[in-house]
Amino acid sequence: MFSKLSLIILFAIIALFPHLFPSPYLIHIATLIFIWSFITTAWSYMGRFGLVSLGHGAFLGLGAYTSSLLFNHYGLTPWIGLLLGGLMAVLFAIIIGYACFRFGVIGDYFALLTLALGQVVALTIIAFRDITGGSLGFTLKSKGTSLLYLQSEEKIHFYYLSLGFLILAMLVWKWIDRSKMQKALRAIGEDEIAASTLGIGIIRYKMIITMISAFMTAVGAVLYAQYVTYLNPFTLSGVVASLEIAFKAILGGMFSLWGPTVGTALIIALEEYIRVSYGGKFVGFSQIIYGAALVLLIIFLPKGIYGTLQQFFQRKK
Amino acid sequence: MVELLLNAVINGILLGGVLALLAFGLNLIFGVVKIIHLAYGQCVMLGMYLIYTFVDLLGIPLIPACLLTLPLTGALGVALQWLVINPLLRAKANPLTQLLALAGLIIVFENLAQVIWGADLRGVKVPLPLINFGPIFLRASNLIAFFGALLTLLSLYLFLHKTYLGLAIRSTAQNVDSARLMGINPGLIYYTTMAAGGILTGIIAAFFSPIYAVHPHFGGSFTMMAFIIVVLGGMGSMLGGFIGAFIIGIVTSVTAVLTSTEMGEIVALVIFISVILVRPQGLLGIKISR
Amino acid sequence: MLEIKSLNVYYGEFQALFEVSLRVLEGETVITVGPNGAGKSTLLKTISGLFRPRSGTITFLGKRIDGLPAHRIVEMGIAQVPEGGWLFPQLTVLENLKVGSYLKGSRREYAPTLKDIYRLFPILDERKKQVADTLSGGERQMLAIARSLMSRPKLILLDEPSSGLAPRVVSRVFEFVKQIKATGYAILMVEQNVRKALHLSDRAYLMESGRVHKEGVRQSFLDDPYIKKAYIGL
Repeated sequence: MFSKLSLIILFAIIALFPHLFPSPYLIHIATLIFIWSFITTAWSYMGRFGLVSLGHGAFLGLGAYTSSLLFNHYGLTPWIGLLLGGLMAVLFAIIIGYACFRFGVIGDYFALLTLALGQVVALTIIAFRDITGGSLGFTLKSKGTSLLYLQSEEKIHFYYLSLGFLILAMLVWKWIDRSKMQKALRAIGEDEIAASTLGIGIIRYKMIITMISAFMTAVGAVLYAQYVTYLNPFTLSGVVASLEIAFKAILGGMFSLWGPTVGTALIIALEEYIRVSYGGKFVGFSQIIYGAALVLLIIFLPKGIYGTLQQFFQRKK
Repeated sequence: MVELLLNAVINGILLGGVLALLAFGLNLIFGVVKIIHLAYGQCVMLGMYLIYTFVDLLGIPLIPACLLTLPLTGALGVALQWLVINPLLRAKANPLTQLLALAGLIIVFENLAQVIWGADLRGVKVPLPLINFGPIFLRASNLIAFFGALLTLLSLYLFLHKTYLGLAIRSTAQNVDSARLMGINPGLIYYTTMAAGGILTGIIAAFFSPIYAVHPHFGGSFTMMAFIIVVLGGMGSMLGGFIGAFIIGIVTSVTAVLTSTEMGEIVALVIFISVILVRPQGLLGIKISR
Repeated sequence: MLEIKSLNVYYGEFQALFEVSLRVLEGETVITVGPNGAGKSTLLKTISGLFRPRSGTITFLGKRIDGLPAHRIVEMGIAQVPEGGWLFPQLTVLENLKVGSYLKGSRREYAPTLKDIYRLFPILDERKKQVADTLSGGERQMLAIARSLMSRPKLILLDEPSSGLAPRVVSRVFEFVKQIKATGYAILMVEQNVRKALHLSDRAYLMESGRVHKEGVRQSFLDDPYIKKAYIGL
């Protein structure tokens, strides 16, 4: 839908944005959008092929808590922490993924199972409250502005950093889209039995895509934790966090490259608008509208907002 | 120690009674309307909020307040059928889409509760005595809930098996086109089922009100519990749900007493995951081909 | 009593019935024969309201019924026994019969109607507490037909009653149809077993590829050389 020229212009605008509109608040919102778009795009690696996970909160929690606890207690740099957190998420994904795919759990049963998993991780985090601070969460030790420790007192640093990560996630999306894996997963998504008779290694491909998604989601969680310097099991694990990821991606359109980003941007913008206009008390309101809009959207626009627009423009050609 | 365990088991059984009601409602809706009502626990939550509003804010005594809530929660069920489920059925949405739509409802209900009643705990203050039989301590509220639940289950069983409407509902669950050929209007049956399911959430809310305080996220763990039970017992199997409820009630209660409440929930979730992996039809469910 | 004019029925974009016209008079037994895929089942399902025609009219006892939902058409007095019976698998024989008289009008007559049914089909009385799933093929078909009679219909639609049954059982099923016919019901039956069906019928239609190719009284079908060769195998 976007021509090369419009992409360049878009990129230029985004890159220059903090200098044109140096409002810390807007930069903050944009950063949040980039970070969550990174995560929702990573989610969609699985979602677009029919592996709809309602438990990505598990990866968020594993990634963020691993990295942050290692940092707080042992001073480990989050750059390594991010790799370790990602590794934890991948290990978890391997175990659960293998069990699921081996036993042929798909579709809505898969979704329910992942829902339970996200909650298990959340409950485990809360249960070990001595280490993790339980439901109250904990704060990262401050290191001022430090590249090594991935913290900054200037919002603008995280703006560009998370933008970079988002671009990375999109490049990975494109890479997957062009690879042999994409064709295999598409076939699996459409008719698993037929695909298996063609000799396509179903379990193998599902595992690979799950591992990639898990790793990147965990990395995104670390990024988020480093940005807000505070972790808590409701934002970084559990049912609600998992559902929010899935919803942002689906709202925008989980089958397209830009869909998750569009969805994330819309939702975060909406939440902020309502918070600002009506005060914190009415944050619940924005959620109601967004939940209701979601229900309607899921029923009537299965391709999401962006996906439907994309289809619409393609037909016009 | 033995006393502690004994108490945990007994209280688990008592809890199991009400969980069995929850599982029954879910199984009924799943069997007839063929939809996984993810927001069922949230409907119970709304029922509890209604009771709280009647009692604490309008000064109505507890029992009339509960009775007043029943038609309201029933109406909520009907509204859900009309506004959410019918469009889903018309759009021929696949099961995953249905699941997501109902998950969206969870967000709507929880935030609705937060906006209207705030995020703090709200409770109906009804002091009920603690009864003891030797080493066992039972709360009157739990006993009432248990026997009330059994009574409700019995009535529901009689309704489904001894009335024409109940027969129509069971027929629709087994073959909807064949039911049409019998002169049964499936749309009407769906509304009736959702209304019954709704009234059931009101009944459960009534039993829960003297026991638990409600908050916007209250529905969450109960919905999860209800699903674990339904999957364990087998989706669509009333008897399975009944048995599953007591198993989960006892297991969670004992684990919670031995370790912590979170561990109790974790154990239940692990059971859930294992069942989905190893035996998705649960104990008594019908084998579903995937 | 049943009048179908120029019926066109589609499955999505695929047309299954082309300008089909058909009549059933009071007390008549009409059969529709033809090969698999000719649209015979589709015809019955459209009459009973499970499918909607794209165009054409269906009139029953003077009232238009095309486009009405199935449960309303049953109310008007049409009962269908679909191919395979469509019994409620986990309900008992008795419960299956009971659902048959779900309609308010039939409920009042439930007890006497049940007695009549047991007289016609004594084996159902024996097995009344048995779950429908556990019956044999022939018993199931019997139950399906009996169930359709519970609503005291005016017209019975029978879709391939002999399908999947052993020859001896098929004879028994046709015996029942004969008995029902003798009681005065109007019957529209779709059958592949042309020879047996023709002997029961008053009039017949031949359908091929979604169109009516021939219509006539029983004898004209029995005498027709094409039908004799293609369908009766003489």
